[in-house]
Amino acid sequence: MNMQFPSKLLLSLTAALALSLGGCATNSSSPEVSSGPVKYGDAKAVETVTNEFGSTDLQTIAETMARSLLQSRPVVQARKTPLVTIAEVKNKTSEYIDTRAITDTIRTQLLKSGAVRFAVDTHAMQNQTDELIRQNQTGLYKKSTAKKIGQMEGADFRVEGNITSIVKRTSDIKDVYYKFSLMLVNNESGVIEWADEKEIRKTSTR
Amino acid sequence: MKIPVQSFFRLFGAVGLLFALGLPVAPVHADSMASKLEQLGEMTNLKVTDLRVANRNGLLNIQAEITNISSSSERLFYRFKWLDSTGFSVWDEEPWKPVVIYGQQKHLITVVAPTPQATDFRLVLQSPNNNNSNSSPSSQTWPDRY
Repeated sequence: MNMQFPSKLLLSLTAALALSLGGCATNSSSPEVSSGPVKYGDAKAVETVTNEFGSTDLQTIAETMARSLLQSRPVVQARKTPLVTIAEVKNKTSEYIDTRAITDTIRTQLLKSGAVRFAVDTHAMQNQTDELIRQNQTGLYKKSTAKKIGQMEGADFRVEGNITSIVKRTSDIKDVYYKFSLMLVNNESGVIEWADEKEIRKTSTR
Repeated sequence: MKIPVQSFFRLFGAVGLLFALGLPVAPVHADSMASKLEQLGEMTNLKVTDLRVANRNGLLNIQAEITNISSSSERLFYRFKWLDSTGFSVWDEEPWKPVVIYGQQKHLITVVAPTPQATDFRLVLQSPNNNNSNSSPSSQTWPDRY
């Protein structure tokens, strides 16, 4: 009696099962692997899921501020591209808002426009000094290629501001008002050269 | 609406010349106004009634007047596309911006191009109360909770 037959059968059955399971996970007509109600959406869509600070607020604030700053006198009338640094945007609202996310987007848009250059801000300073120290003090780098200490450029202007909110609610309405204000300060003279505000109102009813 | 290629280029040449001279271009003619608008479904109650373009400090300035012809408030979502002279996009997708326009109100949308490379634009409009469009750039899926 041949004892090998059942084991061969078992092997082919396992292979068939594996193939059919693989077929379940992927749909051959679409480059998507999905098993549930997860969908990709429009990252730029107007988000009104709840009343709290959201992606649309972040995007519109950053866009308005970057466009306004592009038209400010220190940027338009500059003889050479101004060097700017980001100081802090204080969150004075009652909720948690990552203000760095807003200033990062503003910085990205301004850099992409090419009208402004940015100097390393206080948050990135540690990385900058670490790198300079590594190149100059470890003795591992060629003298000719090591970037020299004492050559960093000081920013002409700094950007700072704050975000505040007023929240009012009754039993059936919640109204949130945000005010984001930003200013450009001349680092040498301390003069505020430009300022702008963006207001947002969101009302939700129960 | 189809615009003959030649007249399209002639129009563009004229606009470009005015830009080069630094002269304000206002207002945009009715037929070219339509070519600058992208409506996601025909808007029943909101109409673009004026569109002005000017070049200030090397950046394109645009003002669009949206009129609500109904007596009730209407919501509008809009954003701009920024193109260079060859028709290529020179900027990322903008976020959709929500506006409320009261009954009979004429609302002004004023924007500045994000980069000097932008020499042309498209204004994309969507009103949730359109007669033949249900898709909307709003991500609301359930009522607000608080």
